[in-house]
Amino acid sequence: MKEEKIDLLKQRFLKEIEEADTPKKKREISKKYLEKELSLVFQSLKTLSSKRKSKVGKKANELKQLILENTEKEEVKENKQWTDVTLPGDKIKAGNLHPLTEIQKKCVDIFAGMGFAVAEGPELENEWYNFDALNFKEDHPAREMQDTLFIKQKNRESLSSEEKLLMRTHTSPVQIRYMLENKPPLRIIVPGRVFRNEATDSSHEINFYQIEGLMIGEDISVANFKAVMETFFRRFFKKDDIGIRLRPSFFPFTEPSFEVDMTCSSCNGKGCSLCKKTGWIEIVGAGMVHPNVLKSGGIDSNKFKGFAFGMGLDRIAMIRYKIDDIRLFYSGDVRFLSQF
Amino acid sequence: MLFSYNFLQSFFKEKLPTPEKLANILVMHFFEVENIEKKGKDFCIDIDVLPSRAQDCFSHIGVAREISAITGLKCDFPETKNKDGKEDVSEFVAVEVNGGCRRYVLRVIKDVNIGPSPKFIQDRLTSCGIKPINNVVDITNYVMLETGQPLHAFDGEKIEGNKIIVRYAKNREKMVTLEGKRRELDESILVISDEVSSVGIAGIKGGAVPEIDENTKLIFLEGANFDPLTIRRGSRKLGLRTDASIRFEHGISVKTTKLAVERAASMIESITKGKITGEAIDVELDKEDNPVIDFILDDITNLLGVDISATQVEKILKSLSFNVERKGENFKVIPAYFRRDINIKEDIIEEIGRVYGYENISSKMPSEEIYPSKESKSLWLSKVCRKEMRALGFVESYNYSFIDENTAQIFNYKNLQEMEKPVSLEYKYLRPSLIPGLVKNIAINEKIIEDVSLFEIGKIFSGIEEKKSIAGVCSSCNFLKLKGKVNLFLQRLFVEKISYHQIKENAFLDVVAEIRSKGESIGLMGEVSAKIKRDMGIKNNVVVFEIDMGKLESLSKERELYHPISKFPTAQRDLSLLVPEKTEYKEIKNNINKVSGKLLKDIELFDVYNGKELPKNKKSIAFRLFFRADNRTLSSQEISDLQNKIIEALEKIPEWKVRK
Repeated sequence: MKEEKIDLLKQRFLKEIEEADTPKKKREISKKYLEKELSLVFQSLKTLSSKRKSKVGKKANELKQLILENTEKEEVKENKQWTDVTLPGDKIKAGNLHPLTEIQKKCVDIFAGMGFAVAEGPELENEWYNFDALNFKEDHPAREMQDTLFIKQKNRESLSSEEKLLMRTHTSPVQIRYMLENKPPLRIIVPGRVFRNEATDSSHEINFYQIEGLMIGEDISVANFKAVMETFFRRFFKKDDIGIRLRPSFFPFTEPSFEVDMTCSSCNGKGCSLCKKTGWIEIVGAGMVHPNVLKSGGIDSNKFKGFAFGMGLDRIAMIRYKIDDIRLFYSGDVRFLSQF
Repeated sequence: MLFSYNFLQSFFKEKLPTPEKLANILVMHFFEVENIEKKGKDFCIDIDVLPSRAQDCFSHIGVAREISAITGLKCDFPETKNKDGKEDVSEFVAVEVNGGCRRYVLRVIKDVNIGPSPKFIQDRLTSCGIKPINNVVDITNYVMLETGQPLHAFDGEKIEGNKIIVRYAKNREKMVTLEGKRRELDESILVISDEVSSVGIAGIKGGAVPEIDENTKLIFLEGANFDPLTIRRGSRKLGLRTDASIRFEHGISVKTTKLAVERAASMIESITKGKITGEAIDVELDKEDNPVIDFILDDITNLLGVDISATQVEKILKSLSFNVERKGENFKVIPAYFRRDINIKEDIIEEIGRVYGYENISSKMPSEEIYPSKESKSLWLSKVCRKEMRALGFVESYNYSFIDENTAQIFNYKNLQEMEKPVSLEYKYLRPSLIPGLVKNIAINEKIIEDVSLFEIGKIFSGIEEKKSIAGVCSSCNFLKLKGKVNLFLQRLFVEKISYHQIKENAFLDVVAEIRSKGESIGLMGEVSAKIKRDMGIKNNVVVFEIDMGKLESLSKERELYHPISKFPTAQRDLSLLVPEKTEYKEIKNNINKVSGKLLKDIELFDVYNGKELPKNKKSIAFRLFFRADNRTLSSQEISDLQNKIIEALEKIPEWKVRK
């Protein structure tokens, strides 16, 4: 018995199978080879030397395997019912997270990569944290820039700022709370719900979300702030050519203060309806932390300085997904919510 | 605030950049330009001057100074030196100030001729949205636009007596203002009065009585510096914001007050051919001093993060009319008198930064050490809860933090925390629970989708106490279906010893249970009552749960140790028990657990049945028992013994019977 003979057997088998035109014939051919031809081969193995036996035996087994596989394949073809693969799959009810949760997570992840920790604070605040500690002078005109939603209290006028309660108008009170509890250097971001007592429309809500950032250290500059903001927007919009620009502005809690514009993500700065043809989108209010704010937070303003910034999460979500009505976020409409 | 391009140009010999270019310069170095509009031969530029600079830049001179500092173009402002008349002004009028005023300057001008004002004045007023009236009134407005100092002209002959008095109004004092409206005042409102009655609301609106008309000959020209807060409060109380009041509200330098009166007096004299009479009356009650600010060059370069030279710093500060003394890198600076917003070193740094241009500062990542941030348990928990709820098929919703009266009544909430003057009554109360919002969501979605599962994580309020809460809602669902999800949710947070306890009565739930862990209440769940569904227009069955996140924070944890997978087989035995209808499953379980020992690993309910063929008021409960030892394979004898022991214990209770 030689290996060549097994090869010939294999060729014959394949040829016969191919020529067989019914499953029945194919079955018979396989049977014939397994029960007759191959069994003869196996019988003849006995007469061979052990070295030859293992060589030829291996070949014979391979052929047996080939015939068996072929038989199985034919059986599957014969028995299998036809399935319409174009029918829809089962309907699965999946859960969803809110778009603002998703956006918040994206922001937090990017800032976490730059060493920022997440901090939280109460939504129901007192005036000291919300205004006084942030260098809003009593009767400062800026207090009127915010339409504050106050808690109904008896004899409000006679209460101290610590006793006067309101729904926080920004996430900045958390800066103070965090500074009072932690020693610099500090890097935090504060996502959270804030409130304004103003009539709602497609771009205003009574409650909405902000994300606030604070970095305090011995050597923090405007140049550092620019780098952090640039990095954030490039990662967030996944575009490395996004630029930012700082414009002078005014906030009681920062000096200098800036508005931060970023290259319009919709037209890449060419000018479109989203950016009112300017190529820039105003997106962040920021500045270098005012020494009085550091003092409120118990930090030595001669040794430490830093920057703070705040932006609307709803707003960046709206820019990111091109959502044109802020009220959708609070509508509870599953047709909206389940898209994210 | 509206500015006339031609007006601004009038202070410069050289040509200003085009309005668009000028707007760009202002945006990058000063404040935002909202709009540019062509008005005849002029352009009207709308600049969003923020409150910090309102005191000097609600004026064309202020903005022109900025343009000059930023562009380097030289600007010049008109200087006025009036000659006093020979008369003694006290023959005409005297001034008495009784509070609310930091400086009061008055000029008497006689023999004026009232008529229309020159075209350039009319054009510039129009560009800035002010209607021309007559030459005297127009000049007061023109000088206000120029200097930022509001002025007022009275017809001197219509003033009763010999005195102008600044005083607070009497309670319920009445006065007719220029536009013909009768107003009632109170003691918080500052007025200008003659010896008989009030003739104007100080800093807000003139009175109708001493109005300038075509026959007016004698002018009392008032330039005052009223207390900003008094004006702001008065203006708000009266619902009257005017070009004058918005300027006074922000405070103006007292030095500007005198300059503006002299400038207007001189214009009135030359334009109306009148004559300045006597000397100026000047009641100066408050002198202003600008601070001396010391700093070194490093203060600036370190905060801005850019190399800028001492000479460059000096040049910028001088361009802003600041007084600068420099010794090498040491500076001593006195801000210009009109810049009362500059008080500390950081204020100076802002001036340097914005004039130098923030675009000229290159980005540079902070070089300080970074530590990976810590995550609080509360944040970790919110994250995990969201993950688990999502996996259980819930869609996350965000609802308002407030509820209205109607909802409060439907849910029968008492003693809610009320808000002070919310814009809409929809926000009358702080939400005491997340459930009303979620149930409302169901009402909205039901028309489109039959079965909806929603959840929310948010703050709820009991009085002024704030708590973090998680709640979920399912429609077209029943109590046990949701219970399965709630239970799995709690198990995934590794909350131990979870139990559910029937509650007899609840204001808005029908089938309701308290959720406990280790015996402590952590929340509740139940089916929304038929009444509430009717009130909210919901058809389907709605089930809700709400759990206190504060409590979850101490009860939840991460998986600590893994349980080894048993090498030995688990044996199963089924039992069916006939019990009275109101027997709780918990009771049966407790009785089994009392005798079963360690070998019983689990009990799984698979049927509750109360069909007709059963005795009346009885039900059949069927469950599967799982037995396993951790060190050997149990023999069938051991299992049978244990099963019999359990049957015996169950049948000890007279009304219970194991079905065979």
